[in-house]
Amino acid sequence: MIPIEYWLVFSSLLFLVGVYGVLTKRNAIVVLMSIEVMLNAANINLVAFSSYHDALHGSSDATGQVFALFSIAVAAAEVAVGLAIILSVYRRYRTIDVDQINILRW
Amino acid sequence: MLEYAWLIPVLPFVAFLLIALLPKRTLLWEDGGLYAIVCALGAFALSMGVIWGVIVSEDLPYESEEYTWLIIGDIEIPFGIYIDELTAVMLLVISVVGTLVVIYSGGYMHEEGLGRRRYYAEIMLFISVMYGLVLASNYLMMFIFWELVGLCSYLLIGFWYEKPSASSAAKRAFIVTRVGDIMFMAGIIILFIYVDDLRFTALFGAGGVAAVPTDMLILSTALIFGGAIGKSAQFPLHEWLPDAMEGPATVSALIHAATMVKAGVYLTARSYPLLLQTPESLLFVAIIGGVTALIAATVALAATDIKRVLAYSTISQLGYMILALGVGGYLVNDLGSADGYSAACLHLMNHGFFKALLFLCAGSVIHAVGTNDMNLMGGLRKYMPITSLTMLIGALAISGIPPFSGFWSKDEILAAVFEAGEVNWIFTLLWIMGFVTAFMTAFYMFRMWFLTFAGKPRSAYHAHESPKIMTIPLMILAGLAVISGFALFIGEGFTEFIAGSIGLEGHGSAVDIASDIFTDPLTYMSLGIAVVGILFAYRVYYMPGFDRSVFAKGVPGAFHRALENRWYISQFYDDFAYKIWYGFSLLADKFDRYVIDGIVNGIAYLGSNSGGVLRKAQSGNVQRYAGLIVVGLILLLLFVLYIAPWARGL
Repeated sequence: MIPIEYWLVFSSLLFLVGVYGVLTKRNAIVVLMSIEVMLNAANINLVAFSSYHDALHGSSDATGQVFALFSIAVAAAEVAVGLAIILSVYRRYRTIDVDQINILRW
Repeated sequence: MLEYAWLIPVLPFVAFLLIALLPKRTLLWEDGGLYAIVCALGAFALSMGVIWGVIVSEDLPYESEEYTWLIIGDIEIPFGIYIDELTAVMLLVISVVGTLVVIYSGGYMHEEGLGRRRYYAEIMLFISVMYGLVLASNYLMMFIFWELVGLCSYLLIGFWYEKPSASSAAKRAFIVTRVGDIMFMAGIIILFIYVDDLRFTALFGAGGVAAVPTDMLILSTALIFGGAIGKSAQFPLHEWLPDAMEGPATVSALIHAATMVKAGVYLTARSYPLLLQTPESLLFVAIIGGVTALIAATVALAATDIKRVLAYSTISQLGYMILALGVGGYLVNDLGSADGYSAACLHLMNHGFFKALLFLCAGSVIHAVGTNDMNLMGGLRKYMPITSLTMLIGALAISGIPPFSGFWSKDEILAAVFEAGEVNWIFTLLWIMGFVTAFMTAFYMFRMWFLTFAGKPRSAYHAHESPKIMTIPLMILAGLAVISGFALFIGEGFTEFIAGSIGLEGHGSAVDIASDIFTDPLTYMSLGIAVVGILFAYRVYYMPGFDRSVFAKGVPGAFHRALENRWYISQFYDDFAYKIWYGFSLLADKFDRYVIDGIVNGIAYLGSNSGGVLRKAQSGNVQRYAGLIVVGLILLLLFVLYIAPWARGL
């Protein structure tokens, strides 16, 4: 069995990739994609802890896997809302560059 | 009769309310003058009843506590009535002069139109609170009325408020007397700290102030006398009174000659049981009185405004009374004699009548001529026979010519001061000052009379005798100025009567008093000096051939200028106010503007500027927000994982 640390390091790296994308990319769609990557990093953590539950506590528990499924469903909904927002922002400003969309300021 | 005394202040107060509140067309005669006269006469009748009650009563002082005004813990402050012989004397002066002045006003204020309503309302309020002041049964109640008479004085001095000089004189009177009032209040507070009871009966009884340490009692009595310095216009707070002459002559007669300025003398006399325990304060009282008598008399020598002459003469005569009270305390303590006290009270009464007479005469003259300046009068005797005669009686009375009233009381005062010379050499000095003052009094009064009534007119005026409503009060007051001095001999004598209020007895019968007076060489000395003063005035201001230009040159000239400038005391106060005090005020203004406002504005600027800086953080850039969230998350993680466990292990 692959040690749990491998999964954790992997999900951390995936999360950091997502953070990097959110902070640096100027295209709002890419930012949204990066957020999805961060969500999936969290899902990997949930699934990993769930499958190692038996080894750690002597009993199996599927809560983590169920949570991952929920999370995927929520992420799908979130993407739908996010894309809709981006679409209407594009209609209003003719751009989806997040650096340009900054009217909510002082 | 004494149980109805509380009605005395109530009646004029009712008149005040009626005149102030009734619709205009129901004010009837003289815009409220009728109500004023009726209520003043009612109060007069009641006062006479109370005075009769005092004379026949065996059980004085009479005290009644009608009403508890204030309860603080165990301390009760009642509103009550306190009547003794001293109260009776004051009631006599207030009721007689107050009533006559209100009647006289019917003629004097006739041309004031709508202002009369305000005038009558204010003067009735004054009479009411003045009665309240003398009937008060404790120091706090007295202080309240004390302030109220000050208010009425302010309102009436400023009656012609559209004249800048009148409104500033009103403010000056109010502010200067306030200096004294604060001292009075401080004196009361000291008593209150130790005794918890301000009723006269409690304080003046045996051991009433035993709880007060001696030095605090001295301070307290000196401060209470400080109130008298302000109200009775004693040196160095005397300069407001001549300025107060900006008010109508009736106001000067009633408030600034006969009654309110006597409140200080009354307060000093009322506090006698306390003052007797503090000879240091008594000495202070005597010195202030003597100095005031002399200084004010000198200034009156050179004044040209007829009312200012009378105002300075009032200050000087009040100085006499204060002097007699200060000296009288030593006589009581060392010789067991009430002479000084009784002389002061007798002079208080006599002066009330003859000075009110003089002021009302001056008012009559001003009413006829239309100016206050004596240089523009002259020769009025022909046009105003009644006024000139009554004023002559007043002048003779104040100069101390027998049998007019001033002679008896002034002679008693000088005799008492001289008698006290045995106790302390300072009193001999004060006697000399009083003696010189007697000379100057005779001189300036007759200077005034000659300048006004004798000689030839010095300006074109159309004088006429005043109407009967004005001359009849003058005649009544003139009659009183002749006879009120004989109070000394009525019954067992005035000394016997008034000494009862400080628990002493007078000495001898009327015959003894008279023989005392007429066998004493001092009597003839003071009479002689008064006659010399009158003859001197006659020579300088009546007989032709005297060159008055000597007053303008050399040493007499310098002296004369100093007198015309009131010894520069008034100017000193102005300089003090304008330069030093104004400079201090500017400093305070700067402090307020830069330090206080600086702090307030600084806090506001701090808020607004820091907001200005911090709002830049709201860039609207979502990625910067996200970056900050990440940084915050990292810091939080560091804290939770490393710093917090490390800190817990310390």
